[in-house]
Amino acid sequence: MEEFVDKALDYASKRSKYAEVRFFSSTRNSVMMKNGAISASGYTVDSGMAIRMLNKSIAFSSINIGSWDRIKEEIDRAARMSEHPGRDNFSNETPVKDEWRVSQKQKIEDLPFEERVNRLKELDGILADEKIAMRILALGDNIEEEFNTSSEGMAIRSRLPKVSLFAMMGYMENGSFEQGTVEVGYSGGYEAFDSWKLVDKLKHESNVLKMAAKAKKLEDGTYDLIAGPEISGIVAHESAGHPTESDRILGREMAQAGESFIKKDDRGKRVGSDIVNLVDDPTIEHSFGFYKYDRDGVKARKRYLYKLGIINEFLSNRESAGRLGEKSNAASRSSEWDKEPLVRMSTTFIEPRDHSLEELLEGVKEGIYMKSFTEWNIDDIRFNEKYVGREAYHVKNGEIKEVVRRPVIETTTVNFYSSIDAIGKDIEFSAGTCGKGDPMQGVDVWMGGPHIRVRNLKVR
Amino acid sequence: MDIEEIFRRVERVSDQAAVNLSRTRVTQIRFSNNVIDISNEWNEELASVFLAKNGRTFMFDLKNEKDLDKILPRSISAIEKIGENTDFVSLNDKKNNYRKKRMNDAKLREVEAQQFVTDFINDVKPFVKRTGGVFYKKETEEQMKTPFNEGTERQFGVEFVARAFNDHDYPLQTSFATSSDDDLQDLMRQKDEIMDLARKVKSIKEGREGRYNVIFSPLCFASLVSYTVPMASAFQVDSGMSMFAGRMGEKVGSRSFTVYDDPTDDSMFNSRTFDDEGSPARKTPVIEKGVVKSLLHNFSTASKYHTETTGNAGIISPAPWQISVEPGNEDLDDMIASMKKGLFINNTWYTRFQDYREGVFSTIPRDGIFYIENGEIKESWSGIRISDSLINIYKNIEGISRETKKVKWWDETMHTRSPFVEAAEVNISRSK
Repeated sequence: MEEFVDKALDYASKRSKYAEVRFFSSTRNSVMMKNGAISASGYTVDSGMAIRMLNKSIAFSSINIGSWDRIKEEIDRAARMSEHPGRDNFSNETPVKDEWRVSQKQKIEDLPFEERVNRLKELDGILADEKIAMRILALGDNIEEEFNTSSEGMAIRSRLPKVSLFAMMGYMENGSFEQGTVEVGYSGGYEAFDSWKLVDKLKHESNVLKMAAKAKKLEDGTYDLIAGPEISGIVAHESAGHPTESDRILGREMAQAGESFIKKDDRGKRVGSDIVNLVDDPTIEHSFGFYKYDRDGVKARKRYLYKLGIINEFLSNRESAGRLGEKSNAASRSSEWDKEPLVRMSTTFIEPRDHSLEELLEGVKEGIYMKSFTEWNIDDIRFNEKYVGREAYHVKNGEIKEVVRRPVIETTTVNFYSSIDAIGKDIEFSAGTCGKGDPMQGVDVWMGGPHIRVRNLKVR
Repeated sequence: MDIEEIFRRVERVSDQAAVNLSRTRVTQIRFSNNVIDISNEWNEELASVFLAKNGRTFMFDLKNEKDLDKILPRSISAIEKIGENTDFVSLNDKKNNYRKKRMNDAKLREVEAQQFVTDFINDVKPFVKRTGGVFYKKETEEQMKTPFNEGTERQFGVEFVARAFNDHDYPLQTSFATSSDDDLQDLMRQKDEIMDLARKVKSIKEGREGRYNVIFSPLCFASLVSYTVPMASAFQVDSGMSMFAGRMGEKVGSRSFTVYDDPTDDSMFNSRTFDDEGSPARKTPVIEKGVVKSLLHNFSTASKYHTETTGNAGIISPAPWQISVEPGNEDLDDMIASMKKGLFINNTWYTRFQDYREGVFSTIPRDGIFYIENGEIKESWSGIRISDSLINIYKNIEGISRETKKVKWWDETMHTRSPFVEAAEVNISRSK
């Protein structure tokens, strides 16, 4: 089908004021185990052509049936759809011609399929030895190849290999149940596997569940919070990344994931203490959400969403930047080739500062140290949020004490960021899938950051 | 792609094979703040292939028949080196007959998507400040072939979701999905639903914590059961991470609560006559009169549980088709009128579980949270969360309406037919 890209672009360009034709192909391997049984092994080859056209409004069409007549038909249909009155301004950007690829040390394509099964069996065996009776493990890898062209002269080829692993565990003791997850992802090859230290991670998580199942709830009250990287990461993603997505701010997602407590004129307003820098950076090498150019062909760069506690920059694509009268900062992503590009995060985190964990703990008289979470959610303007601890400890006079069970923090974005008084110098990331769009698009992201100290939060 | 050709080639190299080929054409209009944002069109074919050989199983997806030349040898090579799938028994090996689907969609097909959206925007404009949403027209053809069975069926349907903000930026939402011309008037009435909700908005306040009787709208209750019924998949139950694990025959709801997986309702988009391995799709009571009645099975999980398949393959993991909550005898107006102190909740999102076994979760109500006192709506709330367990809520169901609505919203709500449902003592929390 790739052979039709030039012809399709030429045909679409004549029928629109802006046209994009993208050819995409991917191969994916996946293995899943449930409680020791190999439940699913599979292989997927995906390919197709996506066409985006701009006239009086935007039209997006996808086709994987490789005949010119069918492609032409789709372009004609998209041209007609784009003549309906709607929004019609993209930001002006310089078109790029380039080629990029992410390197692999242990190539996905060189790994025999059965090796994936063997690796998963080994990990499943570790959990079984730890008496984790309920377990689902999934290992996946894929290689995405894309050729993105536009009527303005963009021509970008890319090759992006990725590996990811998801483990879900449940532990029951005397009727007391605890559940946990481990999620890791990497742009690159199977060299990721060793760096993830999965054996240690899964053993640790097993112990966490066992301890939590026996632990007691903490008394309701006001506590200082030492949040580990997993907690500071989910907070950064949910309450800094999402609310600064400019398409949300402009209402584009109003009927699905919602809008934002941040309005379009709110840059410069304070939302946190003056030590809080919040970053989204797609250029971190081998990060799960890595890209060199976004789906609009704009070069990726690091973005400061909150700077010194103040709203600084919105994530944007050409569509939303055009509406704001600005340049795009390259946040255009789609989960699959046949989905429209939207404003998305990549790797979102609080920028590290200068404290060690010991120094963060030193200043805490009565607190909790929350390292990971189980249930969480946030409202559709990204202001009221809840985090329930999975691995959590009572902190008394600077010392980590007993494990506490499922401490609940229900707070607001501004209260949380305003209450941060110290930030660690460490940084650690875990993988996630960020959902948005209709139909739902789950894109690969990293979340994480340093340990942080948050004063006087209500905990129950 | 040609299912016969794919099946012929796959069957030759396996003990058992199943091919499911779907052809999809979807048109979608997305709009926000009273303006159309984008028109999307999908025109795709997907062949999902399952093969079993010597107790081992392998699956692959194919979007271009030419790729079979490289995928098939690779799959055979892989299947010979991986271990047995001890969960797999067989595809359904009986010759099955399927019911005939009742298609009734000639008028729905004529609904022009852009015009419908434009009319909706114009009609509600005098009553709300701004509106956004999505309109889908979906058409699929599903073909299935196994060594024992084959079938073809079609689906057509429309889905409409609109969220509107009133002059005080208070959000409201409506959703409707149908495959039947009989529902055309209901589809057209969605603007009235938004306007009716807008009229109910009074005295906007931050919500207050506590335990309240709650009347869930069909959209909101559909969301709760959309998280519940998939947990009845025997795969999920087998994994241990399900509120149905170990609860067969146990009471998990009030006597008035019955919920089905019902692929036989052809007025809904996900109605089906057969599943992925050739079993007839059928109506299955998951919770009947408050008691866990049946899990959702494919042929293999049914063998393991010494029961019959419910026609819910997923050959690896059974899954529900579309949900139906049994209606009751009450009238919504009477439910509100007889409420001393409680809430009407129109929608919810971001449902997450801290305990799948007990169904302990929280979710964030939105799009119309009305505080009711002595039978009258007194306030419209925001900023609250339902923090409770599904089992508590279902056990405390006190009233169910006669009226039902067919809804589908985004990833939060499966195709579901639900009444208004009132539950007592629902725990409401909020951020501090």
